[in-house]
Amino acid sequence: MNNVLLPLIGLLLGIIIGLVYPIYIPVNYAPYVSIAVLAALDSVFGGLKAVGENNFDVYVFITGFFTNALLAGFLAYIGDRLGIPIYLAAIFVFGVRIFQNLAIIRRDFLNKFLKNQK
Amino acid sequence: MREKIRANIMIAIICFILGFMLVTQFRSTEKSGSAITSLQRVQELTAQLKSLMDEKEKLQGEVKELRNRLTEYENSASKISGVTEAMKKELLRARMVAGLVEGYGPGITITLDDSNVPRQPGEDPNLFLIHDEDILKVVNELFAAGAEAVSVNGQRIIATTEIRCVGPTIIINSIRMAPPFTIDAIGDPEYLESSMKMRGGIIESLQVFGIQVSIKKQEKIYMPAYTGPIQFKYFVPEKAGE
Repeated sequence: MNNVLLPLIGLLLGIIIGLVYPIYIPVNYAPYVSIAVLAALDSVFGGLKAVGENNFDVYVFITGFFTNALLAGFLAYIGDRLGIPIYLAAIFVFGVRIFQNLAIIRRDFLNKFLKNQK
Repeated sequence: MREKIRANIMIAIICFILGFMLVTQFRSTEKSGSAITSLQRVQELTAQLKSLMDEKEKLQGEVKELRNRLTEYENSASKISGVTEAMKKELLRARMVAGLVEGYGPGITITLDDSNVPRQPGEDPNLFLIHDEDILKVVNELFAAGAEAVSVNGQRIIATTEIRCVGPTIIINSIRMAPPFTIDAIGDPEYLESSMKMRGGIIESLQVFGIQVSIKKQEKIYMPAYTGPIQFKYFVPEKAGE
């Protein structure tokens, strides 16, 4: 239970603080931040998958989270400067990965659930 | 066990950041009205605008060149005979009336800028901005006071000049401009100034809302000519003297 509780509290706290402090991202940078958010989501789902497969490593997770988010935002920015829509690549890669990870998580979950039933 | 709790706390922190990012992004997107989906549209429109602006610049160069050629013709024609010389003088006068000649003279310079009075909540912000009507009124008042030539931000006011609101900007002679507005008028500086400062006049009514107005009498004002295109598609002149 404790496994899920702490991250959930963290997530809720983040949402609440985000709602309380109205920080707005300038419209110019919104696309880059959205890519960063996508990368962050991907990292979190990747982490969940790793938990399911029992090879979760906190440090891999944390570094992955930050570098993925920053790198994705940065690459999207560079791409815009150069006139190459790199953000499309980022959306594609992260989107596909999120769905793959979700499928694996679902299967893990189903397996565990069915085992418990038996 | 301790290792596990530490890991959990780390993950909680990450989740906290993620939640924060998600909410901020969500709110930003909501505020700017789906800025992300329309990014492509924005780029498209920017490209279109740029190409049109380039085209406009090119055409403007063409207009300038044609005008130069026209003056060349006039000059060469006037050399031929006295009749054409007189005609050239008449032409110059007509062009001065039309605002196609640049020049200089005494007059006043009026600068208008948006209000810097701190707004009370609930007050209409429109009251504190300069509108097309305000500029129109000032220009009208200047002509009424005998101004012979008026320009706004370097755009000469001619017979077909429009002064019109376009979103947050004002368009004059198809050129967009934003505050501050500098209005130059050539005429008797005393008359022009007093027409502006008239009690209950336009400047007083603008200053009520804190719009920043400054009036300066000038010895010599440079007045640009109208540089835009002049086209008559529908107007057909009645033939005089026939």
